[in-house]
Amino acid sequence: MSSSKPLPNSSSATILPPANKAFVPRDYSHGTELRFSTELPAKLQGRIPEEVFTAVIGNINQLLIAAETGSASVYLESCFACLTGYLAYICMETQYEKCLRSVSRLVEEYNRTVFGPRNLSMIDPSERGLRVIEIVLLRP
Amino acid sequence: MPKRWEVYPGKSQVLCSGRCISAKNLSVFYLTLALIVISSCLFLAFDCRLLAVTLSPSVPVLAAVQFIFVLCCLLRTTFSDPGIIPRGTPDEAAWIESQLEGPQVDRDGNYRPPVRLKDVQINGRVFKLKYCFTCKLWRPPRSSHCSTCDNCVDRFDHHCPWVGNCVGRRNYRYFYLFLISLSVYCLYVMVFGIVNLVLLSNMRKDFLMAMKESPTSVLTILVAFFSIWSVVGLGGFHTMLICRETSTNEDIKGSFNQRRHPDLINPFDQGNGLANCCFVLFGPVTPSLLNFREDEIGLGSSISLVTNNGRNGASAAAASTAVTATPAVRYSNLTRNNNDAASNSVGHVNNSVQVISESLPAQLPGDGNDVIVKNGNGAPADGVISGGTDAVGAQNSNTQSASSVHCIV
Repeated sequence: MSSSKPLPNSSSATILPPANKAFVPRDYSHGTELRFSTELPAKLQGRIPEEVFTAVIGNINQLLIAAETGSASVYLESCFACLTGYLAYICMETQYEKCLRSVSRLVEEYNRTVFGPRNLSMIDPSERGLRVIEIVLLRP
Repeated sequence: MPKRWEVYPGKSQVLCSGRCISAKNLSVFYLTLALIVISSCLFLAFDCRLLAVTLSPSVPVLAAVQFIFVLCCLLRTTFSDPGIIPRGTPDEAAWIESQLEGPQVDRDGNYRPPVRLKDVQINGRVFKLKYCFTCKLWRPPRSSHCSTCDNCVDRFDHHCPWVGNCVGRRNYRYFYLFLISLSVYCLYVMVFGIVNLVLLSNMRKDFLMAMKESPTSVLTILVAFFSIWSVVGLGGFHTMLICRETSTNEDIKGSFNQRRHPDLINPFDQGNGLANCCFVLFGPVTPSLLNFREDEIGLGSSISLVTNNGRNGASAAAASTAVTATPAVRYSNLTRNNNDAASNSVGHVNNSVQVISESLPAQLPGDGNDVIVKNGNGAPADGVISGGTDAVGAQNSNTQSASSVHCIV
């Protein structure tokens, strides 16, 4: 065998994922809809019942999907903003922002009632750019 | 405590203390702005004097309204976040990259780079999602990485130097309305510039004399005439793209080109052009995910570095850092006490918060009893969460002001 090309990343260190965090990725199977995977991460096995976790993520998904749905009020709001040359957005809150705000409140409530007693902490997905839901394991 | 815009890693230019973002090189944008502003000022100052008197005062008024609308759309396109997806935290990157198949050397001694694609089925069509090593995230479908700005942008259309920013999901409607309104405005200026010259030449009985008397009309007509070809052309192209629910990037790559490959269906197409237009131009728009005006508290990296020879335990324990407190809730200034006042504006969505909580099983399966948190000496604390859970405590104290919501356009 000929001598192998040196690997570009020839550092001998391997990065391990953080032991005290679990991540719930985005679920793109329904397109660009805002939803997160309801599969229980391996690190949370035994920390939280699967059906509770699925219900929590499902409820968050419901709010997020509603944010992305084009309803009549959303269209009217956008038309109105367009007619004002989009100056209305300076003083108006969009439906999307209201939905994200309600997701924040829901996450806060879940941290108080579901995750906190289990020594877990859910990070609001808005804090992570809607990429993942991060769940911190506060105690091993 | 630095703000997030101060530690922004990309190549875009952040302006007004995190309220605006654009490309770094704005020289062509300044040319666009100069052309529009100077031509408009010349038209309003010189041509409109005769037109207002001879035809109607509404001519300059309409011109001014259109000019303001064009400027609003242009400035919104240039200085708003196009839909930049914030980069992944180091912990997320470590988690994702630990799952990727690493770089390998195959039997022939050739280097194979790490596999960073995954297939996802969307409404009957397989998409390949790419992992962006720069931004440390799985790129959502339809998003792309802009090399000029060094960001992943959601529903990336193209990077437009004339506008000085990427055109993506959040600012596409402003870009399109800028094109359409500028087309109409160019036509308006050209037509009324010609009308002005005609009126003047009727008064002076000599067209050349009229041109000498009003040279600015000639200038504005020429600028408008040459602009029309490109602006109207681009506007027409984007109208076609919108009706097909495709972006420029996807059109160039032929992602949904069914003529060549009949199975390349567009799962985002709503069925008819009008529905697509309405959704793209007036559909929901996400707020900026960058949150530039908030404090960069430190995202709690707890990466462990281990060496390949297997001495994991000791080095992992030594190298791991503590989790720093992160603000878990962005809008946590709305406590339960004043929720009612704020909730009325949200309507049915807020009422459902309580309903949703109640829909969770009251008796948590597998626990036997209700969840009881014990305090330091082991006695049950009657359901009150005791101290020691630092991150939970920090959540409630790290309140964010509501005024930070409308910070980035």
